Amino acid sequence: MRIVIAEDAAVIRDGLSLLLTTRGHQVAAAVGDATALCAAVAEYGPDVAVVDVRMPPTHTDEGLRAAIRLRRDHPGLGVLVFSQHIETRYAAQLLAEGSHGVGYLLKDRVSEVGDFLNTLVRIAAGETVLDPEVVTQIMGASRRTEALRTLTARERAVLAMMAEGRSNSAIATALSLSYGSVEKHVTQIFTKLGLPPSQSDHRRVLAVLRYLES
Amino acid sequence: MSFRVLLAAPARKRAWYELGYALVSLPIAAVGLIYLLVMLLTAATAATFVGVPMLAAGVLGARALGAVDRGVARALLGVEVPVPPPFRPRPGLIGWLGSALGDGAGWRAAAYRLGKPPVAVLASGTAASLWGSGLVLLSCPIWWRIPALAHLPVNTWPRALLAGTAGAVLLLLAPWTVRAALLPDRLLVRALLGPTRASARIHELETTRAQAVDDSATALRRIERDLHDGTQARLVALAMSLSMLKDELAETGRDDRLDQARVLVDLAHRNAREALVELRDLVRGIHPAVLDEGLETALATLAATSSLPVDLQVDLPRRPSAAVETIAYFCTAELLANAARHGGARQAGIELRTRNRLLRLRVRDDGAGGAAMGLGTGLRGLADRVRVVDGTLKISSPPGGPTVVTVELPLHP
Repeated sequence: MRIVIAEDAAVIRDGLSLLLTTRGHQVAAAVGDATALCAAVAEYGPDVAVVDVRMPPTHTDEGLRAAIRLRRDHPGLGVLVFSQHIETRYAAQLLAEGSHGVGYLLKDRVSEVGDFLNTLVRIAAGETVLDPEVVTQIMGASRRTEALRTLTARERAVLAMMAEGRSNSAIATALSLSYGSVEKHVTQIFTKLGLPPSQSDHRRVLAVLRYLES
Repeated sequence: MSFRVLLAAPARKRAWYELGYALVSLPIAAVGLIYLLVMLLTAATAATFVGVPMLAAGVLGARALGAVDRGVARALLGVEVPVPPPFRPRPGLIGWLGSALGDGAGWRAAAYRLGKPPVAVLASGTAASLWGSGLVLLSCPIWWRIPALAHLPVNTWPRALLAGTAGAVLLLLAPWTVRAALLPDRLLVRALLGPTRASARIHELETTRAQAVDDSATALRRIERDLHDGTQARLVALAMSLSMLKDELAETGRDDRLDQARVLVDLAHRNAREALVELRDLVRGIHPAVLDEGLETALATLAATSSLPVDLQVDLPRRPSAAVETIAYFCTAELLANAARHGGARQAGIELRTRNRLLRLRVRDDGAGGAAMGLGTGLRGLADRVRVVDGTLKISSPPGGPTVVTVELPLHP
């Protein structure tokens, strides 16, 4: 994959570059602010951009705004937005522009390099990936507590992973279940919550999120 | 004092300024006395409906006149009197009336009006008689031969010259005498038109406290930024390296020493990850980053992440100071958490308004009520926090609900 990194902390920028190059990816550019990011994407046409939310000059959300702009201007570009803490609002703004090839993760997640690289590949392939923390926050704030209470603990765990954008086989591996029983749980959840069944993973994310947020 | 200073005194600017002050004192004193009489007559009718506000306005008017006096004294006498703390009324009509009637600086300025006439008479009398008679006598050699004035005792050259000399001496003495005669007025200005020592001290303490509160808000913001840019970034990089190292070790052949190394790296990786989680919570507690985008956005985030449906109404034309924003944010967070935790509420509301120089935050819920200070609700802690900027926290929570907590904070303490 060809990757552009935008991150203002040099240690993380260099660490990411090193990680991605040693794992056989090509880091086209590693920059420190949003303006340089947009220029680099226009110049190199990467598969994925990894973007920190908080960058100079204001250190608030310029990375997020740049990410939204990039997604609009470069359809097909995967964008992974990185943040030191999770704001569900940011996730909502990112997904408002469509859910193809987008991810929103806590910065801490790079400390599991295997999972992180996996996530990057999924985003490049057009999937949607949300940090478990986003899902926890949305589920905690959801007004659908009555309906959620009818789910079993196992079903809730599966629902959380669906909202993160995991596929059935990934959920099966993570929860040590058979593929078939995950399918059964998913069907159960959709029936209990009255959601229209959906096969595609990232459509499923949106359905679940919309349900939780409504 | 040298002889030259003594001789030059009448020609100096200071002497003219003091003369000017002494002369305008009289009309100022007269106007002031009339003002005071009118004010006291109003006070006599204070029992009536209109009397009270009139008296209150009178006190504030005296304060304003005092400012004029202070200005004149500074310009002409060089008396530097600090300005008393500004009039800060409490909210509401009753509050305004109470504040005005209890305005110490206003009443002391009114007392100055009472003391002014005698000192003004003394100063202007001294000035007029010394300068006047001095000039008349000094010019004696010019006018003594005017026929119409022949009846005066000055009717020979020697007498006229003697009178002229006496006039010169009087004019030389005049500046010093006028300065002495102005002394009571100076003392009066200092005593009644400046702040009292206690109020000056209170003002100083208020200023330094507001500064301290603001400084600590800025310091916390800086610590949060430093932790984010420095420590957090470095820990992420460390955890990333350890994770890569773990993967590398997994690839190498099996060996006792290597197994040991794997265990150690695994431990170090886990520690780094846990440190990251702890640091994230810590940073959030110090200064929620979302506050950088303003109080309204921050409260909207709180409302969105609450497990209760929250109705948010914000009317905030301009941003309060950083410290006040932080306090309002943490109050809202705590009150919403309380509503969700204790009261069995089904919905909550946040209302944020500004009135005069106050920020009013109202958090209500339709829970069971019965909330009170010191029942493990953290309300005591909130009240303490609010008091730091002279804010107030009021709880209305009858059994059966609803619970309404109102927090009032100055926009810019």
